[in-house]
Amino acid sequence: MNTNETTRRRFLTDLSALGAGAAAASFGLPAWAQQKSSKTGVVRVWGEPGPYGGVAVDAMNEWAGKFAPGLKFQIETLSWDSVYVKLMTDLAARRPANCISVESPIAMQLMAQGLLEPLDDVVDKVGRKRIVKGAKWEYWGAWKGRQYVLPAHHQPHLLIVRMDVVKELGLGDPDKWDWNDLLNAAKTVTEKRPNMAGITLALGRNLCTDYHFSALLHSAGGRMFDVEKQYEVVFNSPATVETLEYVKALYAYMPKAAVSYSFLEVTDAIVTGRTAMAFYWGRPYGRAFEENKAVFANLESFNHARHPKTGLRMNWNDFQGWCIPKSNNPFIDEVKAALAYYQTSPQWLVRYCHSLMPNVGPTYQDVLDDPQLQTHPFFQTKRRTIETYYNTSVPHSSSTANELMKGVNPLAGIVHGRSILAETVQKVVLENVKAADAAKWGHAQLEQVRKEHIQLVM
Amino acid sequence: MQRDWKDADNLLGVLFILPFVATALVFMVFPVMEAVRMAFFYIDPLNPAAQRFAGLDNFRTLFADALFWKSFRNAAFWTGTSIVLQTVLGVALALLLHMPLRGISIFRGLLLFPYIVPTVVIALCAQWMLNPDLGIVNHALKQAGLIRDNVYWLSTPDMAMASTIGLNVWKYTPFVTICVLARLQTIPLELYDAAKVDGASAIRRFLDITLPQLSDVLVVVVVFRTIWTFNKFEEIYLLTRGGPGTSTFNLAIYSFEQSIANLKMGVGAAAGVVMMALLFVGSILYIRLFRFDQDPA
Repeated sequence: MNTNETTRRRFLTDLSALGAGAAAASFGLPAWAQQKSSKTGVVRVWGEPGPYGGVAVDAMNEWAGKFAPGLKFQIETLSWDSVYVKLMTDLAARRPANCISVESPIAMQLMAQGLLEPLDDVVDKVGRKRIVKGAKWEYWGAWKGRQYVLPAHHQPHLLIVRMDVVKELGLGDPDKWDWNDLLNAAKTVTEKRPNMAGITLALGRNLCTDYHFSALLHSAGGRMFDVEKQYEVVFNSPATVETLEYVKALYAYMPKAAVSYSFLEVTDAIVTGRTAMAFYWGRPYGRAFEENKAVFANLESFNHARHPKTGLRMNWNDFQGWCIPKSNNPFIDEVKAALAYYQTSPQWLVRYCHSLMPNVGPTYQDVLDDPQLQTHPFFQTKRRTIETYYNTSVPHSSSTANELMKGVNPLAGIVHGRSILAETVQKVVLENVKAADAAKWGHAQLEQVRKEHIQLVM
Repeated sequence: MQRDWKDADNLLGVLFILPFVATALVFMVFPVMEAVRMAFFYIDPLNPAAQRFAGLDNFRTLFADALFWKSFRNAAFWTGTSIVLQTVLGVALALLLHMPLRGISIFRGLLLFPYIVPTVVIALCAQWMLNPDLGIVNHALKQAGLIRDNVYWLSTPDMAMASTIGLNVWKYTPFVTICVLARLQTIPLELYDAAKVDGASAIRRFLDITLPQLSDVLVVVVVFRTIWTFNKFEEIYLLTRGGPGTSTFNLAIYSFEQSIANLKMGVGAAAGVVMMALLFVGSILYIRLFRFDQDPA
């Protein structure tokens, strides 16, 4: 083995030392960040699986080392499928974490329920004009004129493609595909490559399915709610029916077990080379680099295939941010100061992005433009994919919490908690219910959510 | 002669029973009473101060929900099939382990293995073993030439139900076996000797001696196993989370989903109350029907 070779692991190790040193030595702290705290104890921080939450907590501990030596920030990792349950049970038990990193639909539900501390003062300190081009602060979580969520990252799920397979079968440029091309590509791969699925989506009764389906739904121009019309439910539409039928058509070229797949199984399928295509965030690249270099070398990500009529190619972008539970939280001021400290440190923000390339996109333009960001070795091999995740995906962003970017909708968190979208999909692919009937069923469930929680949003 | 409860013996008895009574009150009676109370209230767990009386609304919601009835049917099927299989296999294994063979005690010891391993460990191992693409079960079946295509153990509704039942049977059959084995060892051998003298076949001896002698213990085992299986949550949740779709939802998972995912604590509690009532009535009927509550004349 060539010991001089730059490996991803060594790069990260070196960068850690560099980042910490640089942050400690050269970071000029404004007065507000230097306010000391004499409190003691452990500040609990919830984050999703992945190293980036740990990097943020390292930054917060750097702040604590300087200004609150009695405090220790500690990351607690929540698995994706249990985020909602864990959040709700701990909030109900009045022992929430002191700081939470969570996806926007759930953050927005908590925000509208009055459970979060407003963070406008932190935003002012971080800098309101820094947000990455094409995005808005509200994408992460703002409600009735106040900001409740501080951006941690944005991570769109895109179309991941095994380019060696696509080239070998002459399937053209995935960046130019529409839905029909994608379906045809999945079909061709299934027919011509034994032991490889044409495409893999999560179709289990879980959040991942909600996200995969809603990206397609939004590309077809469909939505769950019309925010501008008092959150009227608009799910029972031709767009929903078409999307459900399309998912069923794609399912013919997926692993049969996809109906029980969640996040992990899709990643496994990509990394082990059992699928030619998948919808996914940037996470598999790091794992493929470590575990299956042949797959890594041939992976590229693209904005989703266009809908043939609308021309839309929306992704479900996880505008993930930091929020602070308001009640039963003795460390609100300290968390705010620590968040502001790390969010104003380009070094820490670059380290955050580097910790899982290209999964967690920078949220501030100065970080995106920072030459230090491009020192990661993946920029040598996956520049186009990184550019797509970080930059060109932003105009195609959508979210269940902000459908087609037409307005914030805290009801989305409740919808995800109840797995309504996933269950609608499963009715079609698993129970062979007609798409039109499944759309009606989903519509009725969403009506129920609206009826029960309308006071949250009106 | 009436004895004062302050007598030293009585007082000692009360003291001995006090820890159990206190524990039962805190961990059994109070939660049950609280669940019954919650079933009649609207409760938002994120805003517990705003709870209000709901009357029978939570029960109306429950009975109008198609998923509740589906969960009930699933629970009945899952429980019934599991209990029949556990009882038949448990008795058969007990009869085998009752045979005076060399080294039989080793097998008796091994039998307890599934019962003592934590459910979470078993469920997670089973998930991997039953993985259609990577699991050892499909691999072994293919190697043995028994299957050509992968079996989707947890990904189709029927197979998922069969797999969860299989796991439950594997884990809890040893409980039945141990109970039955213990009873078998107390049956007087003279009964069998007399039957043999009368020319009774092995099947006749089983039907006329063994089975009647086992009836008392089987009643207890079936009642307990029915209650525990009907209430089972963790095996199904860890293995399939109630899926695919809602094909392996039982009432315990339904209650959990209503309470935690839907944040309808009242409806979840109402489901729990219905389960409790069903099991209570079912147990009484079962015992009365088979006259197990009557002392032998």
